[in-house]
Amino acid sequence: MIDLIQYTVDGALRGMLYALVAMGFIVIFRAGRILNFAQGEVVAVGGFLIYTFVSVPFLPGLINSVLGPVPAWLSICISLLVALLFVILLGLLVERIIFRPLIGQPIFTIVMATIGLMILLQGLMIAVWGGEDRPFPYLFPVGAVRMGPFTFSRAIFWGAIISIGVFGALSYLFERTRWGLKLTAVAEDHAVSQSMGISVKRSIATAWVIGCLLSAWGAVVFLNGQTLTFVAGSIGMIALPCALLAGLESIWGAPIAGVIVGVGESLAAAYLDEYTEGAMSEAFPYLLMIVILLIRPQGLFGWKIIERV
Amino acid sequence: MALLPCGVHFRTYRGDRAYLHTKTQWACFIAFMILLFLLPGLISIQYISMITVTSIMIIAVVGLQITAGYAGQVNLGQSAFMGMGAFVAASMAVNFNLPFWITIPAGGLGGAIFGSLFGIPALRIKGFYLSLTTIAAQIIFPVLIMALPDKWCGGAIGLQIDPARLGGLVFNTDKSIYYLSMVVTIIMVYFAFNLVRTRVGRAFVAVRDNDIAAEIMGVNLFAYKTLSFFVGAFYAGVAGGLWAYFLRYVGADQFTLYYSIWFVGMLIVGGLGSILGAIFGTIFLRALQEFITYLGPLLVNIFPNIGGGAQVWYAGMNILLGGIIILFLIYEPRGLAHRWNLIKTNYRVWPFPYL
Repeated sequence: MIDLIQYTVDGALRGMLYALVAMGFIVIFRAGRILNFAQGEVVAVGGFLIYTFVSVPFLPGLINSVLGPVPAWLSICISLLVALLFVILLGLLVERIIFRPLIGQPIFTIVMATIGLMILLQGLMIAVWGGEDRPFPYLFPVGAVRMGPFTFSRAIFWGAIISIGVFGALSYLFERTRWGLKLTAVAEDHAVSQSMGISVKRSIATAWVIGCLLSAWGAVVFLNGQTLTFVAGSIGMIALPCALLAGLESIWGAPIAGVIVGVGESLAAAYLDEYTEGAMSEAFPYLLMIVILLIRPQGLFGWKIIERV
Repeated sequence: MALLPCGVHFRTYRGDRAYLHTKTQWACFIAFMILLFLLPGLISIQYISMITVTSIMIIAVVGLQITAGYAGQVNLGQSAFMGMGAFVAASMAVNFNLPFWITIPAGGLGGAIFGSLFGIPALRIKGFYLSLTTIAAQIIFPVLIMALPDKWCGGAIGLQIDPARLGGLVFNTDKSIYYLSMVVTIIMVYFAFNLVRTRVGRAFVAVRDNDIAAEIMGVNLFAYKTLSFFVGAFYAGVAGGLWAYFLRYVGADQFTLYYSIWFVGMLIVGGLGSILGAIFGTIFLRALQEFITYLGPLLVNIFPNIGGGAQVWYAGMNILLGGIIILFLIYEPRGLAHRWNLIKTNYRVWPFPYL
C-alpha cells in the first residue's frame, strides 16, 4: 500500500515536470497558433546555455574579476540571468527568422517548420557543444525530502511546487489581462487578429520568449545534477501527449494532464512492465492520448472549435 | 495539360487522357527507361546501391505524397508503416519460405492495415492533433515488435532473410537487386500517377481542400480518409518489403521517427500535391545525404570538438535536413515540382517570356 502511494506521488511529481514542458507547448500555441515540436530541443538548448554560463569557469571568473570576490550564490544568479538573456534571444531569433515569414500559413507548413527547427537545433547542439556527456550544475540542493514513510527527490519536489506558482501566473496573464486576450486572439486566427490591429509578429515573439523561458526553467528542474547531452531533448516527445491530452489552449489543463500521464506511467512502470518487458510505460502516454482524443478530439480542456465551410 | 505545344489536338477522350501526348515526350520517356536499364553497366557499383536505396525511398515518399499531399492528412509515421511492411515480408519469408512476389505485396498489405489503424482517428482528429497520433504509431511500433513473439519478428535481434529468388534467378548482388527494386518502383509510381487522376484521387483532393465541403458534396469522409492512409501505408509497406530484401536484415531500430521526418522533408522539398515532386524531392535530398557523407572527413577537420565521425555526420545531416525544410517552407513552399513546371513552361513559350 505504501508502495502504491509512493509510486503515485512520484508519478504525480514527475507529471508536474511533464506539465512544465507541456506548458511550453501550450503557451506557444495559445499565443501564436504554433504547435512547437521543437520544445524538447529548446529545453536541451536552455540546459546547454545554463551549463555554459554557470559550469564553465569563464563567466564566473569574469564576474569575480569585475566585481571583486562575490558570494557563490550571487555569481550563480548573475550567470543564470545571462543564460536566460541568451534563451530570450533564441526565442526572438526563432520568431524573426522562421515564423515571421510563415504568418497565416496552413497548419501543415507550421508543423513542418517546427519539426525542421527540431532537427536543426539537434544538429546545431552537436556542432556547438559536441556529443559528450556533461555534468549539469546543482542549482537545487541535492538530497531527498522526507515525509513520514515517503521520500522524494528535492529538485523535483521544489520544482513541482514552484511550477504551480508559474502556472498560476500564466493563467492570470492569459485569462485576466488585456494582453493575454490579444495573444489568445492570435491563437484563434492570424488574419482576423491582424485586421483587428493586433500585432501577430509581436504576439508570436512573446509566445516564443515565454516558451523558451519556461523551457529553461524546465531544464533547471529536469536536469539538476544530472548528465546533460543533446538527447535531453527527448523530454519533449514525452511531454507532447500531455499537452494534447490537456488540449492545446488550456493553461490549467496541463498540470492535470501531466499528473494523469505521470501517475499512469509510474504505475505502468511499476506493475505492468514486468509483463511487457518495459514496453508499457513508454507507450502508455501515447495510448492514453489516442483513446482520449478519439472521445474528445479537442483534448480534455481544449476549446471546441466550430468549423464552417 | 494546358502546357501542350501548338498543333496538338485530340480526336478521342482516350488521347486526351493519355499522359504522354507528343512524339518528343515518348522519345524522352523511352530514352529514360533505356537509361535506367543500362545504368548498372555505365556507373561504378557503389553508386548502384545508392540508387537502389533512393528508388526504395521514392516508393515510400510517393505513398506519403498520396496521404499527405493529395488527401491532406499529416502523416509522421511513414517510417513505422514501412517497418511494419518490412517485418511482415521478412517474417513470411523466414517462417513460411514464401517467394518475394508474395511477401512484398503481403508486406504492403501489412503496412497498409497498420497504417489504416492510425488513420481511423483522422475522421475526428485534425491538424496538429492528427500529426501526433501518427507520431504515436512511430512510438508504438518498436514496442509492438518487441512484444510480439520472437519467432515472428525476431524481437530485439531482428530477422535475417535469404535473398529473393525467381526461378533460377537469385537477387543477391547489388545489380540484381537494383533491377528488382527499379521494376517495383516503376510499377508503384505508374499506379500513383494514375490513382490521383481517378475518382478516388479527386475525392482525396476534395478532402484536402476542405473536408466539410467534401462531405456535403457526398464524399464519404471516413472511407476516403482511411483509404488515403491505407494506400499511403501500402506504398510504405512495399518499400519496407524491398528494404528487407535489399539489406536482408530487418530490425526495429531501422524505422525511427527520424526517417519519417526525412520522408516528410523529401515531400516538402519536392512539393506537395505532385507525384513527380515526390520523386524529385527524394532524389535531391538523397544526393545531399550522400554529399554530406562524402564531406564527413572534411567536416571533422573544421569542427574538431564534435568528436567521432558518426557524430559529425549526424550533426551535418541534421543541420542540412532542418535547414532545408525551413528554407523550402519559407522561400519555395511549392517545391521543386513548381520549379520544374516553370522550366517546362519557359521551354515551351520560348522565345517569349510568357504566353
